[in-house]
Amino acid sequence: MHVVLEKTLKNASSYFQNFFIHDYSSNGAIHLIDARIKLLSTIVFVILAISTFEFDKLSFLLFSLILISAILGLSLKRLFSRVWLFSIFSFLVVSPLLIQDLKYPFLFTLRVTVAIIAVQMLVMSTSFAEICSALRSLKVPEIFIHGLWLAYRYILVVFQDIISILLARESRRVAKGSHADLWRKGGESVGLFFLRSIERAERVQLAMASRGERVIQSKFKFGLLEIIYITLSAFVALWCIVL
Amino acid sequence: MHIPDGYLDLSIAGLFFVLTLAVLGYSIFKLRGAKLTSLFGVLSAAIFAAQMLNWPIPGGTSAHFVGGSLAGILLGPYAGSLAMAIVLTIQTLVFNDGGITAWGANVWNMAIVNVFVGYYIYQTFSKFSRSFSAFLAGWLGITIAAIFAGLEIGLSTSFAYGLSITIPVMGIWHAVLGIIEGIITAGVVSYIATRRADLLEKKEVGKASFVLIAGLIALSPVFAYLAEEVGYSEPLENAAEMLGLEENPIYESIFPDYTIPGLDPYTGTLISGAIGVLIVLLLAYAVKYARSSRKDT
Repeated sequence: MHVVLEKTLKNASSYFQNFFIHDYSSNGAIHLIDARIKLLSTIVFVILAISTFEFDKLSFLLFSLILISAILGLSLKRLFSRVWLFSIFSFLVVSPLLIQDLKYPFLFTLRVTVAIIAVQMLVMSTSFAEICSALRSLKVPEIFIHGLWLAYRYILVVFQDIISILLARESRRVAKGSHADLWRKGGESVGLFFLRSIERAERVQLAMASRGERVIQSKFKFGLLEIIYITLSAFVALWCIVL
Repeated sequence: MHIPDGYLDLSIAGLFFVLTLAVLGYSIFKLRGAKLTSLFGVLSAAIFAAQMLNWPIPGGTSAHFVGGSLAGILLGPYAGSLAMAIVLTIQTLVFNDGGITAWGANVWNMAIVNVFVGYYIYQTFSKFSRSFSAFLAGWLGITIAAIFAGLEIGLSTSFAYGLSITIPVMGIWHAVLGIIEGIITAGVVSYIATRRADLLEKKEVGKASFVLIAGLIALSPVFAYLAEEVGYSEPLENAAEMLGLEENPIYESIFPDYTIPGLDPYTGTLISGAIGVLIVLLLAYAVKYARSSRKDT
């Protein structure tokens, strides 16, 4: 079980950094822009990126997104550190096709990279509460948004539960055991974890019933920053279509 | 199994968005009135946490649990698909794990196909053996979901590998890793059966709903094939072509090819470059001004 614990904690530590990326990716102007506008712009940028294989359009989009990020105060170093690995992975996936078509693997990687940069611009500059508020204003059903918000808030709490259960099991273990033993006993541990989670959910439901279910406060802004961002996004989108 | 942006054609991504929204919308409709928000929320968090567990497998590598079938068995197919959709949405919007445009396809594979297939396999075979049916549900649920993922990227012309490569790669690999998913699902279900068997009771689904959703799942590859045949793959370029934008540019640049009409190319490029830098600086100043005024308020 110690292998599961070790690998899980290692994996989780890098995973949980994502929860705070919008906080430690510096507080630039892009962080202050309304989340609805950033979400919609991101969707437009991603659709533009994945609708073409033309080098001109893709390189224009790449350059524009990097320029917008730099102007609006997003750390380019952090942005690239979150993009390069997947870009290389995508290139490796299609690299055997280099023999048939020299251009395709590069263009494919370029469009994936542009799409990831667009999404990272949103992820790095927007807290999840703002994203939930934006989704609500886009008329996503309340039940789904409440579920999203609760899940996001409880991930760390329930993760602590599962680690406690695994640690307790590990401390009681006296024999090494085979892989099959590990999976079976692991299954039991996860079973206990889900039971505890269900009981926790029942308690949370009672607490929500007693104090009301509204969990997300909507806060929207529309000022000069938003106008600048919309203008930039619209300019990039139109130019990309015309190009 | 999370498909990123750029791997799917827009037509296929759009089709799976529509199919997914239809099934999730129906699930929300079926669950109307039930006070289940916290159950989705906390159990989605639990599935998310369980997905972080890395199970060692012989050979030194490891695999992680997905939990689609388990969500279906514990919560029923409607609430289970919503819980998995929540997990996948957080993974997309917080971790960029899976693309925004591929959200529909990812939710279709892991939150609808995996959950519904897992649930029905479990319900069909649980009268013989609870553990074995949970194993089958976990194993086949993830394998079939992976085959659907292979189908979606294989049908997309953006991804140059065809179905003959994507389906076997995704299917065979997940059929092997899915054995661990099956064993863990069986372990969880057996444990819950000894403590809270009431959680494993059959959930009311309805015959018509079953036929409808099963039909959608079965026909979705045909829809995807047809969507690709219709050829909506590049709507922006089609729109530009239809508008004749390529033949008749709607805007004559002030500085064509970074030169100034009437001046020699070198001087023109120099001046247009300087003007470009000035525009960027002005823009940066405007952003700085807007930001400071936002902070003051």
